[in-house]
Amino acid sequence: MDNVDTVSTDVLIIGGGPSGLATAIYLADRLKQKGLNNRILLIDKGNSIGSHILSGAVIKPDVFKELLPDVEFSEIPFNARVTKDSMVLLGEHSHIKLPFHAPYMSNKGYYTASLGQLCKYLAVKAQQKGVEIYTGFAVDEILYKDGKVIGAKTKDTGLDHHGNQLENFQQGTRIEAKITVFAEGPRGPLTKMLINKFNLTEGRNEQVYSLGCKELWSVPQGNIEPGEIYHTLGYPLQNDEFGGGFIYGLNDNKVAVGIVVGLDYKDPTFDVHDAMQVWKTSSFVSKILKGGKLVEYGAKTLPEGGYYAIPKLYVDNALIVGDGAGLVAMPTLKGIHLSVKSGILAAQTITEALSKNDTSENTLKHYETSVKSGTIHKEMFKVRNFRQGFEKGLFAGGFHFGTQLITGGAGFFGRLRSIPDYKTTKKLKDFKKKPFKERFKGKLEFDKVLTFDKVTDVYYSGVYHDEQQVVHVRINDPEKYKKVNIDQYGAPEQFYCSSEVYELHTNKSGEKEIRIHAENCMHCRTCDIKSPGLGITWAVPNGGNGPDFQNM
Amino acid sequence: MALTIISLIKQVPVPSEMRMGEDGLMDRTKAKSIINIDCQFGLEAGLQLRKQHPDARLIVCSMGPGSFEASLKTAISMGYDEAYLLSDRKLGGSDTYATGLAISTMLKHLGFSKNSKDPFIILAGRQTSDGDTAHVPSQVAENMGIPQATFVESVKSEGTSSVIAKRIIEGGYQMMKLPMPCVISLTPTGIPPRKPSLSGAIKARNLKITTFGIDDIGLGTEKIGISGSPTIVAKVVNMVSERPPITLSEGHNEVSLVDSLIANLKKGGNVLEKKETAAKKESERPDFPEKDFRNGASGIVTWAEITNGNISRPSLELLTPARNLATQLGHGTKVMTLMIGKNIKALAQTLIEHGSDEVICVENDRLEEYLVLPFASIFAQVIKERNPEIALFAATTSGRELAPRIGMRTSSGVTADCTGLEIGEYIDRKQKVIITPILESRRPTYGESKLATILGFVCPQVSTARAGTFEVPPRIKDRKGIVSGFSPVLDEKDFVVEIIKTVRGEGGLQNLFDADIIVSGGRGTTNDSLALIKSLAEALKNQGVNAEWACSRPVVDEGVTEYARQVGQTGKTVRPKVYVAVGISGAIQHIAGMKESGKVIAVNHNPKASIFNNADFGIVGDYQDILPELIERVKAGFTFGIEPKKKI
Repeated sequence: MDNVDTVSTDVLIIGGGPSGLATAIYLADRLKQKGLNNRILLIDKGNSIGSHILSGAVIKPDVFKELLPDVEFSEIPFNARVTKDSMVLLGEHSHIKLPFHAPYMSNKGYYTASLGQLCKYLAVKAQQKGVEIYTGFAVDEILYKDGKVIGAKTKDTGLDHHGNQLENFQQGTRIEAKITVFAEGPRGPLTKMLINKFNLTEGRNEQVYSLGCKELWSVPQGNIEPGEIYHTLGYPLQNDEFGGGFIYGLNDNKVAVGIVVGLDYKDPTFDVHDAMQVWKTSSFVSKILKGGKLVEYGAKTLPEGGYYAIPKLYVDNALIVGDGAGLVAMPTLKGIHLSVKSGILAAQTITEALSKNDTSENTLKHYETSVKSGTIHKEMFKVRNFRQGFEKGLFAGGFHFGTQLITGGAGFFGRLRSIPDYKTTKKLKDFKKKPFKERFKGKLEFDKVLTFDKVTDVYYSGVYHDEQQVVHVRINDPEKYKKVNIDQYGAPEQFYCSSEVYELHTNKSGEKEIRIHAENCMHCRTCDIKSPGLGITWAVPNGGNGPDFQNM
Repeated sequence: MALTIISLIKQVPVPSEMRMGEDGLMDRTKAKSIINIDCQFGLEAGLQLRKQHPDARLIVCSMGPGSFEASLKTAISMGYDEAYLLSDRKLGGSDTYATGLAISTMLKHLGFSKNSKDPFIILAGRQTSDGDTAHVPSQVAENMGIPQATFVESVKSEGTSSVIAKRIIEGGYQMMKLPMPCVISLTPTGIPPRKPSLSGAIKARNLKITTFGIDDIGLGTEKIGISGSPTIVAKVVNMVSERPPITLSEGHNEVSLVDSLIANLKKGGNVLEKKETAAKKESERPDFPEKDFRNGASGIVTWAEITNGNISRPSLELLTPARNLATQLGHGTKVMTLMIGKNIKALAQTLIEHGSDEVICVENDRLEEYLVLPFASIFAQVIKERNPEIALFAATTSGRELAPRIGMRTSSGVTADCTGLEIGEYIDRKQKVIITPILESRRPTYGESKLATILGFVCPQVSTARAGTFEVPPRIKDRKGIVSGFSPVLDEKDFVVEIIKTVRGEGGLQNLFDADIIVSGGRGTTNDSLALIKSLAEALKNQGVNAEWACSRPVVDEGVTEYARQVGQTGKTVRPKVYVAVGISGAIQHIAGMKESGKVIAVNHNPKASIFNNADFGIVGDYQDILPELIERVKAGFTFGIEPKKKI
């Protein structure tokens, strides 16, 4: 290992999403103010900044003024300003526009945006401030010295399926850093390692997640106005399925549509992608898409465990920011401004640490303190039990949410328990309700005009993976997987996977096996979250692999 | 005496990732740029050579706009040390001749020439995805006066001053030893390019790329750019896909999938909607004077390539366009064929019976195997003596390197890989003349989506014709013609390249040309060494169908079977009534060898495999599930709609 290339930096930021970029930008500014000349290195696994970024998105813009005080607000590439904002209770053939907004869910004054485009813009800003950004590099190992984080290593490439070195083997690069910032997004593989190694969830709830599937459409003029946004409740989800749809009118006759569904659902055959297709066939949504064309597809998970699921956010020499820290406020599912804010707060602490030359927990703990005392705390704490309440179903959840409003967030039962998503799926024999396919019988024949099968949608994500590499999704224990996940649960991954990575194949003699088409993977990491018994591990594939989102 | 490794690269738009625009057409403007795939293999070959020469200096060079810096930086991040870019507006519109000239001038400026004391090797991609000519490496070599090997899959150095290259040829390969300096062009079948490393990317970020303009390297304007290029692109038209959209089988297991396939075959699949395109108004032919540009050049000369002691099929095919052009030119235009080899005179009559008027034989024991340097020299000497107006080559691996080397010597440029050759005229509106009779060489370009017409204004007009495009002209028994000899001046220096070994599958398997059904296996079917592919073909034969099995390139590379069974650009071009492609991804090289087939049926587990864009019927599934089922059905009488000829 002596001849491994090593580079040194003061700060290494893993991930070029809003939180990582905000950390970089704010840190570069602070260091400059202090007259410090520290190196900041930001690495992203996407082909380019933004290519792995997906969000609705409707953004609360204030925090960007804080991040970029010297920039004309109009220069920031938001899309249309929200002008019309409605909640819709959806039925298959009917809809009721709710005459009021659920508390905390008003979006007046907010902006629609492509978060990918926004991140591209932030990356340019960061580079102008001296941040070095390298895209297309996957980081798959945390470096430790004396039990403390000292950086990370990029993935070795040029390996065959079994991990043997090929002739074009290229060793990864060791990046040694005084401070490493984990900004990997939800369920990042390194963040997961870090959390496990240092037991950072001790005394806190396990994180729970939602999966969002999104399509970007181009529609005829007049179907929807820029800035006209809808959130839908109801169809096609049932009471015990937490989630809803979104329809965001954008400039240039584009519209972003999608649904977000809590991964605590019970039906082992539930399919979020297909549910979204069914959702689009409702009279309300199909009218908006009529005559339009699909432009892009993508999917992403988001953490929604809320306040009590925030892990410990620091260890010696390392911090966690953004979605990886679980910073999403319910019920609005808004995390972008909190991610940016967490980056700003992290940058403040890092500046302090670098100036004092103390990167230990002693200084870095100030980051968590600031997260838990400022605006992030304010937004997340008052709705701290929101999501947990819905585990008992929409009506019960609604009831809890009501009581939380009255009691200022505590609810009647204090802190609610949160069951991790991999435990909520029922076995086939125990699931007594109508399975997904029967519920929507006749609606799952996709016409490739309004509705699309997964493989077609996946094509619209621009996804690519090198053939030559170790398959990046792994069945942890194939024998157990067969006995439990396939035989008892019916391989739920074939349904929940947003991009048809998992295929359950039944041969003539009735034998079943799971087949993995890792080349389709959208990097949403639902399999790592939802597989019964945590049967699957999602690892990062070669750098530059994955979707190639343009305007998601 | 450290070795210098020079890689030539070109930046191109990503061919496979071009997105569907909102209008349903391919959106080229959004296509990202990458290093041309073949060039990436060239880069990797350089990095492999460094394993043998750890102190080697690795240089990467390109010619193009400033945006090409991105690709040069990628090369640095893969492991290269220095980068040079030749970038000048005056180079715009250069054809391959002018490009070869400009690049070699830059290399000379950097201090590399055939007289250099220190050894160096120039590596390049075989061809570019946006040009597809494969000319530039040959033209750089010719211009620098150094030997070359093109279509090379792997290269190793031997000693301090020579390299061993494995060159891919039709139906096999050749091991050859070349002295340095030399030019090697790499096919995209060797060691795949490595990924950049982060430390390399950091180095690339801080590295200054040296950019030259033409004045910096002392290159005059008279031989570059549009004006200096002997050939021009006269016209580009869209090509309409010849195959209708695929009908995919539906089902949840192999039984229902195969049921669905059989039903689809019965129904007949999709039919291509021929859209009537409004004929564009041809602008009127102006009343300019006609000018014969040929300066007395006349006649057509073709090259007859000898492999395994026989005339190669593509060389016979070449006589179809040659005769056609001779007829169009009239005035008793002669078709001459040059044949070089050992004891070959007996083959002359075959050429005459297929359409040659004169066969020029050059016989020499040292010329038994094709070698680019002496063959180019002999050909140039024949051209000098006979002064033909047109020279045609089959676009085989040999023809595609020989033609550009000759084109460089005659300053005439070359048009590569043509699928259409006609006589026409060129209306020069500036000079107000009509240049005639000129050779219109038509060739597919931009990933087979457009058809370009290329004209050359210097005789001989040199073109290579895609193998398998033209039919072999019918043989007329006892057709009369002249057999003549030619005694070339041979230079010892043209024999510096040594052929160590030539491996060709038995020229046999002619049956592949005649089979009604070909079952072809790709990389995805090598798990069982093609056992299922063979069984399916065997089952069809047992039903009395004229069936045969074949394979794609990687299968041969992996040593699973012989070269003679390989279908594709560097293998055979086949036209069965039914082509069953199993586990074949559909690389363009393969498609070139089977796209003339009647019905194409594709079986592949990857729904995004490009074979599905080139097939009529398809099953998405694992061949190990699908084929046993198909074999059962064949045994029960299913023969893909082909009438069995005889029952055994």
